[in-house]
Amino acid sequence: MDARLRRVTREIADCKNDKTSSIKIETIDESPFHLKGSFPGPEGTPYQGGNFEIDIVIPESYPFQPVKMKFITKVYHPNVSSASGAICLDILKDAWSPVLTLKSTLISLQSLLCSPEPNDPQDAEVAKHYMTSKASFEETATYWTHIYAGGPGSKDAKQLNSGDDVAIAGLEHTHVDRFVELGFPKAKVVDALRRLNYRGNNIRNIPDDRVIEELLK
Amino acid sequence: MKVKIKQWNAVAQWRWDTGNKDAADDEEGDVCGICRVPFEGCCPSCRVPGDDCPLIWGECSHVFHMHCLLKWIGTAASKQQCPMDRRPWATAERRVDNAPPPTT
Repeated sequence: MDARLRRVTREIADCKNDKTSSIKIETIDESPFHLKGSFPGPEGTPYQGGNFEIDIVIPESYPFQPVKMKFITKVYHPNVSSASGAICLDILKDAWSPVLTLKSTLISLQSLLCSPEPNDPQDAEVAKHYMTSKASFEETATYWTHIYAGGPGSKDAKQLNSGDDVAIAGLEHTHVDRFVELGFPKAKVVDALRRLNYRGNNIRNIPDDRVIEELLK
Repeated sequence: MKVKIKQWNAVAQWRWDTGNKDAADDEEGDVCGICRVPFEGCCPSCRVPGDDCPLIWGECSHVFHMHCLLKWIGTAASKQQCPMDRRPWATAERRVDNAPPPTT
């Protein structure tokens, strides 16, 4: 049995035997090198109550090369791509060490949800949102947890229909409606305002002309 | 009563002296952090445990199978650092607690 297979088999078994841990690792198909991990969103964060699934691929030279991980569950976080689930975390890149395990790496992802690093972003638009208005960012992240990760919604999110594209983009209905009334399609307005980071104090820096210019692109 | 011993079988057990006396109490203490195989076993590239697959001690006090550690240090990604504490790896003299004083 090769070293990689032996270590991975052991790691999966250890994780199964640890009943006190909230981290789960399971196989997806027959391959022991393509796995699915999951953990609950940390308490006291916008991710609380959600369950987050991670796609795990174990490279040929594991544990001498870092394991490949990305979010399967959509998550609104500066260090996670909102489109692809790709993760920006040093231990998944140049700070990897062979003493790290699948379980300890999943725990690191869980703690990344507690402490975003907007200065080293994976998703620049989400990071801008975070830095412009943390309250608005947290509302959007909570809404994503509600609709994508099965978490309870905030009071605001509960009033909205599931899959509200304005809330998913982290924007205000009143702002979107103002430009829709000018005759622009809603999806286009949502896209433009998200790209411009039309939130909080930043709105003062964006004249209507600038928005319309973006809409006419 | 007299007992006459006709035959006896010796049974011996060995362990690496890792300098970690609590190893038996500590679940993680007696496995190589790189391959996760007990120190008394051998690294994944060897078949027989013992002197042919020895341990290596760092000055930082961390212990690994020598072959596992050398494989890691040989990769560019290691930056020649200890996998446990990321300090520059420096191999330490093997510590033997009850070693007799050197005779010259």
